[in-house]
Amino acid sequence: MADAAKLAVVRGPSTSALGLQPSYDVLVVGGGIAGMESALTLGDMGYKVLLVEKEASVGGKMILLSKVFPTLDCASCISTPKMAATSHHPNITTLLYSEIEGISRDDGGLFRVRLRRKPTFVDWAACTGCGECEIVCTVALPDEFNADLVARRATHIAFPQAVPKKAVVDRFGTSPCSFTCPAGVKAHGYVSLVRAGKYDEAFRLHMEDAPLPGSLSRACYAPCEGECTRGTLEGTVPIRAIKRFMVDRYYAAHPIPEYGPSAATRAERVAVVGSGPAGLSAAYHLARRGYPVTVFEAAPLAGGMLRYAIPAYRLPKDVVDRDILNVTALGVELRTGTPVGSLAALRADGFAAAYLATGTMEGYALGVPGEDLDGVMDCMGFLKRVNGGEPLDLKGKTVMVVGGGNSAIDPARMAVRLGAAKVVIQYRRSRTEMPAHDWEIEAALEEGVELQVLHTPVRFLGEGGRLTAVESLTMRLGEPDASGRRAPIPVEGSETRVPVDLVVLAIGLKPSTGSFASEVELNRNGTVKVDAETLQTSLSHVFAGGDAVTGPSMIVQAIGQGKRAAFYIDRFLRGEALAGVRFDEPLPVVDKAEVVARVANITPRPAAPRHERPVAERLAAMAEVELPVSEDEARQGAARCLDCGGCSECHQCVQACPAHAFHFEMREEKAEELVRSVIVSTGFKLFDGRKKPLLGYGRFPNVINAMEMDRLLAPTRPYNTVLRPSDGKAPDNIAYVLCTGSRDCTVDHRLCSRVCCMYSLKQAQLILGALPLADVTIYYMDIRAFGKGYEEFFQQARGMGVTFVKGKVAQVDERPNGNLTVTYEDIEGGGGKRQMEHDLVVLSVGLLPNRDALQLFPGGQLEADPNSYVREVDEDLEPGRTSIPGVFVAGTASAARDIPDTVLHAGAAAAQTAAYLKRMEEGR
Amino acid sequence: MSDDTPTPRRIGVFICHCGGNISDYVDVEQVRQAVAGEAEVVTAKTTMFACSDAAQQEMTEAITQDNLDGIVVASCSPKLHLFTFRAMADRAGLNPYRYVQANIREQCSWAHRGEMPAATAKATAIVRAAVARAEASEPLATMRIETQPRALVLGAGVAGLRAALALADMGLTVTIAERAQRPGGWAATFGRTFARDRSGAEMVEELLRRVHEHEHITLFTGAELIEKSGSVGDFTAVLRVANGDTVTLNVGAIVVATGFQDYQPTVGEFGWGLPDVVTLPQYKRMLDAGQGLHRADGRPVKTVTFLYCVGSRQGEEVERPNRYCSRYCCTAACHAGIVSAEQAPGLHQVHLFRDMRTYGKYELLYEEAQRAGAVFLRWDPEEPPVVASDAGGLTVRVKDRLLGGEELEIPTDLLVLVTGMVPRENATLLNALKLPLGGDGFFNEIHPKLRPVETVANGVFIAGTAQGPKTIAESVASSLAAVSKTAALLLKGYVDLEPFVAEVDEERCTWCGKCLDACPYKAIEKVAVAGKEVARIIPALCKGCGGCALPCAENAIDVKGYTDEQVLGMIDALLEEAAE
Repeated sequence: MADAAKLAVVRGPSTSALGLQPSYDVLVVGGGIAGMESALTLGDMGYKVLLVEKEASVGGKMILLSKVFPTLDCASCISTPKMAATSHHPNITTLLYSEIEGISRDDGGLFRVRLRRKPTFVDWAACTGCGECEIVCTVALPDEFNADLVARRATHIAFPQAVPKKAVVDRFGTSPCSFTCPAGVKAHGYVSLVRAGKYDEAFRLHMEDAPLPGSLSRACYAPCEGECTRGTLEGTVPIRAIKRFMVDRYYAAHPIPEYGPSAATRAERVAVVGSGPAGLSAAYHLARRGYPVTVFEAAPLAGGMLRYAIPAYRLPKDVVDRDILNVTALGVELRTGTPVGSLAALRADGFAAAYLATGTMEGYALGVPGEDLDGVMDCMGFLKRVNGGEPLDLKGKTVMVVGGGNSAIDPARMAVRLGAAKVVIQYRRSRTEMPAHDWEIEAALEEGVELQVLHTPVRFLGEGGRLTAVESLTMRLGEPDASGRRAPIPVEGSETRVPVDLVVLAIGLKPSTGSFASEVELNRNGTVKVDAETLQTSLSHVFAGGDAVTGPSMIVQAIGQGKRAAFYIDRFLRGEALAGVRFDEPLPVVDKAEVVARVANITPRPAAPRHERPVAERLAAMAEVELPVSEDEARQGAARCLDCGGCSECHQCVQACPAHAFHFEMREEKAEELVRSVIVSTGFKLFDGRKKPLLGYGRFPNVINAMEMDRLLAPTRPYNTVLRPSDGKAPDNIAYVLCTGSRDCTVDHRLCSRVCCMYSLKQAQLILGALPLADVTIYYMDIRAFGKGYEEFFQQARGMGVTFVKGKVAQVDERPNGNLTVTYEDIEGGGGKRQMEHDLVVLSVGLLPNRDALQLFPGGQLEADPNSYVREVDEDLEPGRTSIPGVFVAGTASAARDIPDTVLHAGAAAAQTAAYLKRMEEGR
Repeated sequence: MSDDTPTPRRIGVFICHCGGNISDYVDVEQVRQAVAGEAEVVTAKTTMFACSDAAQQEMTEAITQDNLDGIVVASCSPKLHLFTFRAMADRAGLNPYRYVQANIREQCSWAHRGEMPAATAKATAIVRAAVARAEASEPLATMRIETQPRALVLGAGVAGLRAALALADMGLTVTIAERAQRPGGWAATFGRTFARDRSGAEMVEELLRRVHEHEHITLFTGAELIEKSGSVGDFTAVLRVANGDTVTLNVGAIVVATGFQDYQPTVGEFGWGLPDVVTLPQYKRMLDAGQGLHRADGRPVKTVTFLYCVGSRQGEEVERPNRYCSRYCCTAACHAGIVSAEQAPGLHQVHLFRDMRTYGKYELLYEEAQRAGAVFLRWDPEEPPVVASDAGGLTVRVKDRLLGGEELEIPTDLLVLVTGMVPRENATLLNALKLPLGGDGFFNEIHPKLRPVETVANGVFIAGTAQGPKTIAESVASSLAAVSKTAALLLKGYVDLEPFVAEVDEERCTWCGKCLDACPYKAIEKVAVAGKEVARIIPALCKGCGGCALPCAENAIDVKGYTDEQVLGMIDALLEEAAE
């Protein structure tokens, strides 16, 4: 024996020489009928078998079939005993939802198998297969088990007869919207919940991550929408508008939170300095973790930027109040009008940890003469005053806002509302360089704000200490500067002077951290120096976040920092290590290109326009500019979601599961096993009908492939009858196109696929049973009914009235009524080109090699035959033996085969394996 | 248990939808309600797929939680799931023989489509009868028989030889019995074979060399199985060997690889009997001889015509038609065409076929034959080719379907009848093995997909063309599959037999001897017990056929699992339903 000879000469350190014992006698790759048959036979012989299957159930392709020829047994009925036996066999270990990364053979002839266990996100030991999770799941995905003819849920059990019957969550990755959110808000989750009409659940999901949904629904810059894959098509899903819908609805129904104070399970008190979004978020998450929290706020009212920076026409203050209730309802103590003098004082007061979130509540000065005149304010001063309710009458006045960012837009629009006769935003570069969002600039212009670009103030002039005029210089743009924008260069002698009553300087905000400079380390720009991951400051018990750390940023960023700080403060107070622990590890973001490819057939539906109050109306009062969307608009908007990541993380399954089996933190695991031998039973691939474009598959809905027809006929069929896809009509004139993708050099597949004639005959018989009035025509080259009982089966089909036409179908065209014109060469009925109308065309697609099998072993060790199937070195006398000693092939991995031949071949592979193992044992 | 105060039984009933296979035609909920009211039924449920893992889990939980002592699953034929549910019961700690399967699919829903009320009533009756049987069920234990690590292979063709080698490779002792004087079967007579163009004779030579070298294989030629007794794992086989001697073997299993015969045309069938009309095996021998192709009159063959499907795919025109396709002949004829073209360049070849069944990779040989110059014409079984002979030689008249039925006259030097495989005649063997044959006359497997090499006789396996036409590669694959099953049986060292055997009530028995005469399995012996002669069953030999129970005047014999009490209970349950 050549193999034995090789095995006898063991050179070099082998795995066995190192004392490692193989954990299994046989690895079977692929749990289809061949793999199961081989595994069962070897298991019965007493060998220990590891069966690895990439799907969540054993059964392979056979379990997908309706009935099987020539006995017309139900495929489920004859598969499930094997599936159950495989799963329960004492000598077989099944490893499902797992893939082989590679197999290498060592000098001692043992095989080292590298495995990847894909995360199911469900603890299968706990899952009972009850299906409750499927009912509540809010994401529909194409049902592979039903040939994508219908949808299933993202959380699903593979199919009704799955063995084992366990749930799996389909997560392709994190959806871009959720992934990009700095606060980790599961945008995809609440969008899918709104789509499903589960509005309260949507609100509650948001509250898992961020406590200020009202403010976010108005004033968030919505980076999620910027990442929305639908945005690369006809327009983004209106995520923020959807959030506003769900929040408004919830707040209307719940003027106060549904929950009360959270149980104080922790003794350590935590101080939060600052009640802006960063502080509130930290307080909320700390309170949820059971800590008593006190929030200190210097200003008279809580909310920070939400309260004082964002004007009410963008964010009504009652919304801020309601948002804050979400935090205080947990028992968080809010002390407004209470500035914190020093961190040491807090410590002395018994706070075990502190979180600094003081924000950036002060503006930078411009540094030009006259800045101290009455009538020159910085933007925070201006906004604090007007948003704080202090009256400021600008009727008939001229207001100039200096700056080009968003912080310039708000004072300008506010000034218009306060009655100013003329409001000018002066900016030293051109509009293109303005950092403000374009839509904000547009809104300001609409409301009458003027834009004076390429100007900068050089002097403020006054009388009696009061501003009267501004002297400005014209600028021109030079080369790009460090910021990448073109640098403004003053034009000599271009001074102009205009009368102005009020100047608002909006040239930047600085961190309000001055009072702590002596206690914690600050960066040069005044922000608090922290560890980027843990937000811990130079004082170990003090953490910091929000704008005080990042400089002026987004609300949602600040909220995210609060959540992060709460996580690490909790660890700190528990005495747990902070280093090396990741706060949040989402799955990698999905590739948008893949999503777009996956949803290639979606119907374009333009995004609903956003509603805004007319200019005249919005200026009259401090009325909210943006109007809400209706329930229909919200749901239709949500329905445009492409479900990029599959699962939306709406977590309905987590809550519905009676067995508490869901674990979203589950991640892929790698494993390694040592085995004595390998059986490759990786099956076949089905020919893709699209590769014969003239036959119309993929273009015409009523051209389907035979696997789809098998599903339409199966006992677990999607529609409980045979319907054609375009209009749900029961077809009565069905054509079969045999040899689609077989015996065809134009698709580089010259082989006959062995099964198509027979399964077409089978389907024809089943159709005549299901639709007794239907006509079935089979266009064929040869009817290859060669197996035991097959010819009789063919004659039975003829006897039932199936029409057989010898002729190759060249083309299929669609008629306006969805029917199809089949153009074929009529070989025996008089010859020539003929046409026939049918209402459904079934392509009898062939079997192709599954080339993945060849990748199991490195470097082409597992040889392929000229047709790319796994090569059998001597298929006459040694069926199943491959080019690698100890590696065998079973079933359609080595050639197209029908089920009986596959079962026989798998039995042969098992015999080869057993004989090989015996030789190994005996050292032959 | 005392007859006076019977403890009420605790029966669970599970009724399967089978997707819609049952529930589309039977109102399963109504059946459930009907049996839920039975006195000893403590739980009755419906389930989508009783065979599914989850449903089995539910059943095992019911068995433990409701403390069931009997369970009925109303679903499909026990042929499919008897063992599934027995194993389930066993896992749950319930004696597996206290589970009863009610077949409401094959025997009800499928048989009565479109008659839901009647089908539902029938299903209810079937389930009630099953409940009655479960109520009278007793715990039974399988009989464990030690298996002999030896196998007998019948036939020394390529399938038999390869099977013997594989069995011996697994450590079993093998005896091969070949009826012919020379081993090797058909393959030994073949020169070049498809698909790898290897010599059949050389392949057999190699196998024989390995067989002779193997210390655990004994090969008898001129040997026939004349008697088989015993049961799975422990058979006694008697061979008649050369010069009439007999050899008695004790083996655990038997692999039947007795092969096929080639079809012999009847005189006049497509010109059979005329000079220069040969069968495919004869033609292959002419090619293998390598002497060139000559007519009977010695002239060289310039045109050869192959006529396919002779003896295969026959219809009513023949008295006892071979309706089946012989599978290998299309490819074999194409391969012969390729070899012919090599050996006789310029030879004209006409292939008259019906459907070209060069399946799978063999398609490439069909292509190659066409490239080699073979012309293929398709004939219609309604108007078969007519062969005539005159002084000039043979003529085949055929209506070509491609040319719209135009009649062609093909003068040919040689006509090859592409004959198929027919089952081997072997009355002695059939008598010894008592194996059923299929409609095509070949040995029949239990199920082509679930148990393709097993027969109704436990421990007797079929391999190769004894089961149906196959190529060499397919024969070998099937023989190795049979080896797998044989090894799975014998390597374990024991086999558990069903406990459904007859049992004699020794108090009632008066030894009249009628049972002894009725038993076809020699499973009854006379013994003396407490001073009287009574019958006793030998369980390992008893098949549970019940033949002994019938003539027993004293009603002293019952078959376990099918006791009178159970059967009468079932009948009562069925009648009760009819009376309603």
